[in-house]
Amino acid sequence: MTGAREGEPVVSAQGLTKTYGALSAVDHVDLEVGAGDVYGLLGPNGAGKTTFMRMLFGLIRPDSGEISVSGVPVQPEPRRALAEVAGFVEAPRFYPYLSGRKNLELLGRLDGGLRPQRINEVLEVVDLFDRRDSRVREYSYGMVQRLGVAAALMRDPRLLVLDEPTNGLDPAGIRDMRNLIHRLVDTGLTILLSSHHMVEVDEICTRVAIMRRGRLAYDGPITELRAQAGRATRHLDTTDNHVAVEVCRGFAGVEHVQLDGPQIVFDADEATVERLSRELVHAGLGIHRLHAPTSALETLFFRLTEGGTGTPTDEEAAA
Amino acid sequence: MTTTSAATTRTPITTARTTAGAGTVFGVELRKLLGQTRTRVVATVLLVAPWIFILLVLHQDQLPLETLYGRYLKTTGFATPMVVLVTATQWLFPLIAAFISGDIFSSEDNYGTYKTILTRSVSRRAVFWGKVTAALVATVGLVIAIGASALIAGLVAVGDQPFITVGNLEVPSTAHAIGMVAESWLSVLPPLIGFASIAMCVSVLTRNSVLGVVVPVVIGLVFQMYMFLNAWDTVRHALLNWPMNAWRGLLDDPSYAEPFLRGLVVSAIYTAVALTIAYVVFHRRDIQEG
Repeated sequence: MTGAREGEPVVSAQGLTKTYGALSAVDHVDLEVGAGDVYGLLGPNGAGKTTFMRMLFGLIRPDSGEISVSGVPVQPEPRRALAEVAGFVEAPRFYPYLSGRKNLELLGRLDGGLRPQRINEVLEVVDLFDRRDSRVREYSYGMVQRLGVAAALMRDPRLLVLDEPTNGLDPAGIRDMRNLIHRLVDTGLTILLSSHHMVEVDEICTRVAIMRRGRLAYDGPITELRAQAGRATRHLDTTDNHVAVEVCRGFAGVEHVQLDGPQIVFDADEATVERLSRELVHAGLGIHRLHAPTSALETLFFRLTEGGTGTPTDEEAAA
Repeated sequence: MTTTSAATTRTPITTARTTAGAGTVFGVELRKLLGQTRTRVVATVLLVAPWIFILLVLHQDQLPLETLYGRYLKTTGFATPMVVLVTATQWLFPLIAAFISGDIFSSEDNYGTYKTILTRSVSRRAVFWGKVTAALVATVGLVIAIGASALIAGLVAVGDQPFITVGNLEVPSTAHAIGMVAESWLSVLPPLIGFASIAMCVSVLTRNSVLGVVVPVVIGLVFQMYMFLNAWDTVRHALLNWPMNAWRGLLDDPSYAEPFLRGLVVSAIYTAVALTIAYVVFHRRDIQEG
């Protein structure tokens, strides 16, 4: 990075705060992204991820605190600080009346000039080369997302910032985008990626920060988070849930047991679930259904971001 | 997606990235303007309109006698650009200024593309002045092109008979006549720039393309209505429509430039105030949309 010293974090935020009236969108956030990190910024919608990224890009000014890139404060020197940063905030946007290629040409000019061959290269990377001369208004949502990645890659960034890159994509689009990010990770780029999907971050990132109502609820290596996760939330339905709930409550390793309508909800790790299922059968109960609607990491994510039991709603589980 | 390694073929960066200045943004903005179908269509219509107008006039018995130079439309080809000028100063020039300039900032809000361009190697200052320059060059360029089209249409369809000034003097020299027509058209550029600046200011303040186009036109109409009133002259002279008619003094006998010179000052004040407000607001705003 421009002006970066060895060991210096690529992104450093200290006491970063942005409020809108009574709402604290980002509330005294301290965060560091190291060189080579694939850093996941997790949180539900409205947690402050996008506001954080807008401040990183200099699009909005913090009320207090500072964010710097490679030691250069974004305010008041956004151009110098962001010289080797690229990416997009929320959905990437382009001029719909121009082709994808024309859009990239104009953006290349704003970067101080660009080899035409480089445009072709990045269009090939995101699989849009064949549609390069179609107007952007004819692109699908997923194609625009990929064009956003192409526009970012054109800058040959050292830090790539992607704000919910799979948001709004269909399953095939999500798969393609994740594959693309995996390939970019392999190139050694430092990546800051926001998401509200724990599985996505678990799959891609080396470090993770979880935001809740503008504050950091967790910041550390993903491996540490996995170690903390341990127990996933389980849903159990048996031939007699009133008897089963008593069995669960008395079983070692089973926590947060509650009868929730037609099912029992509890937290337990894999080994405990295996033993519990045998115990339930031994107690003469038939098991209709026993499953984990979310992974252990997701359970922890919901607990950290909602401050509740860690049991997701059906909508969250479906998401 | 392909598995090409293009993403990994990063060129070693040995020097700081080149940053784009207002000149680069100017070029990009001009390309964007020309890339819009509506701009090309409107420009084509405006350039063709004088030709249709003079051809229709030549095929009818009546002349627009109530319009200055209307009575000379079949007498000299130089009357065509002058009639177009008289008509355009009423409402067309403010509309052209608003059409091109009233959208140049707010369209980025509508498309959500401010975040796209402001995350490249370009400062807000460069974006602002690049856009302002592109809007003014496009507006001025289009008006000059309309004047040239009208002049050529008149000369081709009617001929280069002697030009008649506002002071009723005949100008037999074709070159001199072309110079006087050009002088008249160029004299409307300062207030035109003033209207374009108002349009850009409204575009920045409202972030709305419709308002960016409509508000300057409404302001122009209100000014025009005041001009028709037998009201306070000091106010009349401070309105942008006043210098739009300063060319009459330049073509009178004897000619007088006082309205033109006063119009220069008035236009400069409108331009400076509108662009200063626009710059301050643009530079300080948060980019939340998109």
